Amino acid sequence: MTKSNQTPQELYYLMVQTRTLDRVIGAHDGHWHGLEGEEATIAGIYHGLQKGDVIAPHYRGAVSAALAKGADLKTLMAGCLGRSTAYHKGRHRSDICGPPELGLIGLYAGSLGPPLGYAAGAALAAKLDGRDDIALGVFGDGTSSRGDCHEAMNMAAVLRLPMVFVCQNNQIAISTELSAGVAGSITARGASFGMPSAEVDGNDVIAVKNAMDEATARARRGDGPSLIECKSYRVAGHFYSDAEDYRDREEIERWRAKEPIARFRAYLIAEGIQTEEDLDRIDAALTEEVDTAFKMALEDPVPEAALLAPDDVYAEARP
Amino acid sequence: MTRMTFQQATVAAIADEMRADRDVFVMGEDIGRFGGPLRSNAGLFEEFGAEGRVIDTPISEGTFVGVGVGAAMYGKRPVVDLMFLEFLALVMQQFLDAGAMHYYSGGTQRVPLVVRAKFGVGPFHGHAYDHHSWLMNMPGVKIVAPSNPDDAYALMRAAIRDDNPVLFLEHMALYHAGKAEVDDDTPLSLGKASIAREGTDLSIYASALMTKRALAAAKVLAEDGISAEVVDLRTISPLDEATILTSARKTGRALVLSEAIGRGSSSNDVAALLAEQAFGDLKAPIRRLAPPNIPTPFARELEREYLPSEDRIVSAAKDLMG
Repeated sequence: MTKSNQTPQELYYLMVQTRTLDRVIGAHDGHWHGLEGEEATIAGIYHGLQKGDVIAPHYRGAVSAALAKGADLKTLMAGCLGRSTAYHKGRHRSDICGPPELGLIGLYAGSLGPPLGYAAGAALAAKLDGRDDIALGVFGDGTSSRGDCHEAMNMAAVLRLPMVFVCQNNQIAISTELSAGVAGSITARGASFGMPSAEVDGNDVIAVKNAMDEATARARRGDGPSLIECKSYRVAGHFYSDAEDYRDREEIERWRAKEPIARFRAYLIAEGIQTEEDLDRIDAALTEEVDTAFKMALEDPVPEAALLAPDDVYAEARP
Repeated sequence: MTRMTFQQATVAAIADEMRADRDVFVMGEDIGRFGGPLRSNAGLFEEFGAEGRVIDTPISEGTFVGVGVGAAMYGKRPVVDLMFLEFLALVMQQFLDAGAMHYYSGGTQRVPLVVRAKFGVGPFHGHAYDHHSWLMNMPGVKIVAPSNPDDAYALMRAAIRDDNPVLFLEHMALYHAGKAEVDDDTPLSLGKASIAREGTDLSIYASALMTKRALAAAKVLAEDGISAEVVDLRTISPLDEATILTSARKTGRALVLSEAIGRGSSSNDVAALLAEQAFGDLKAPIRRLAPPNIPTPFARELEREYLPSEDRIVSAAKDLMG
């Protein structure tokens, strides 16, 4: 594999990993927020960040974001299952909240929007320290309607923070269609705050990756925030056991036919970047890896009562 | 030792911490050249502005407190000026998240954030609402309410050094109300009440302006031969349960003051603690004194009627003595 082939292969890996999580965790937990259809967006956003970068991910894709930042797969799985071996010791949900020590800002009280402000704070910390680290604030089309989203974009632009806002526009917020939730264009809102803004095909992982590279480089240079809107479609239900009686089956099938992994596979093979056999090997290795991690996590202990530890609600003074 | 007002002591504490630790910075609306409402950040821009450590923000309370949360998560120690406690409603989600972070992260995440808020009836005559009790129901958050310049200085330094989100209350009737000695060497941590006046007949529990009124009432009571002990809570969350209980067990009578309206007031936690753990030592039922359950009124005459006054504290204490 040559250097120029490394990025496409890593992107493919992240996409398939994302889909595999869906299959394994979704089968176990009806509340899992499925990722099918959005694998290219997720891989393109989270690939290639550096250690000090901070991500406030959208909940749909939060586990992939944590993995991209180096979190341990089995420990995250244990967090989805509420095991004591989790980063959170069973006190919270890893599917929506990754380990902060690896640069993940999760949903702590479940409200969408405020984490974009927290990401802006991480960006301010990097700027005050003179580091070239950046922060990503990722949100869905639904969250784009929150005042917190507008305020965070305005604040980041005013303070010229090293930050990239990314909208994971899957055209539906639970059951609310885009046209009923968003007036005008999300990309245009970024432009109205004076930041470079681009809409990209969220099912084209290379397009997402290129737009991210440009925006992250700009942020690292100290030239301020950008907005990228990745237009995709939520083929999955809102959660795995969603009856989805609110939308048209045919529309789902039309988008399923445009699914990003098959599209990227065809591209990699046609361009001679990877052979079909190479890709099959990646698929098989990931299936094995995720299945094994999940089985191990299932066998991990559930928290004992002592782990409730009420005194741990406050951080003690450091010695 | 220097003589300072409450406002001067608070700003001096922030400036001293900013000199000691480059990770401390201040942020808020109109805190730069303007110096903050009621001069709450006076002089900081002149000393630290060039270093980018005095950050003026747009009118976006939820987001600038959120920026404080995120900066605190990743190495800084922000001191955010919310202006007035009336705006607490705009930043409840941020407190809820920040307060959950240490526990929910399995103990790895610290959030050393101070949010300052001015409140209270008084000469400023506006923005008087005392809403701090909302945060009593929020895990992981600390609430501090000093009653004098010396405590304001020490508690602000302690709040900045604390690794948890802290709401720091600055009462506007105390803000410019005369100078007092400030000992800049007093080591102090959050969570400790003080005995502002020792007594033997009853315990009066208070914070901020209510402590000042309780002390004035205690003088009047002393003339009538009643010895009142005044417990200045200083930290409202978490409460210093040991000091609260020890005082009531000694005097056998408890009067709990509140500037927040009685329903859902943080002071009710003091009364509940005493009822649960000191009941056997009490010679009379616990008495609470708080404003009625209405929005804070505007006119001076209504405001006077609204808030527990020195006279009403004296009269409630006498009732308790039977």
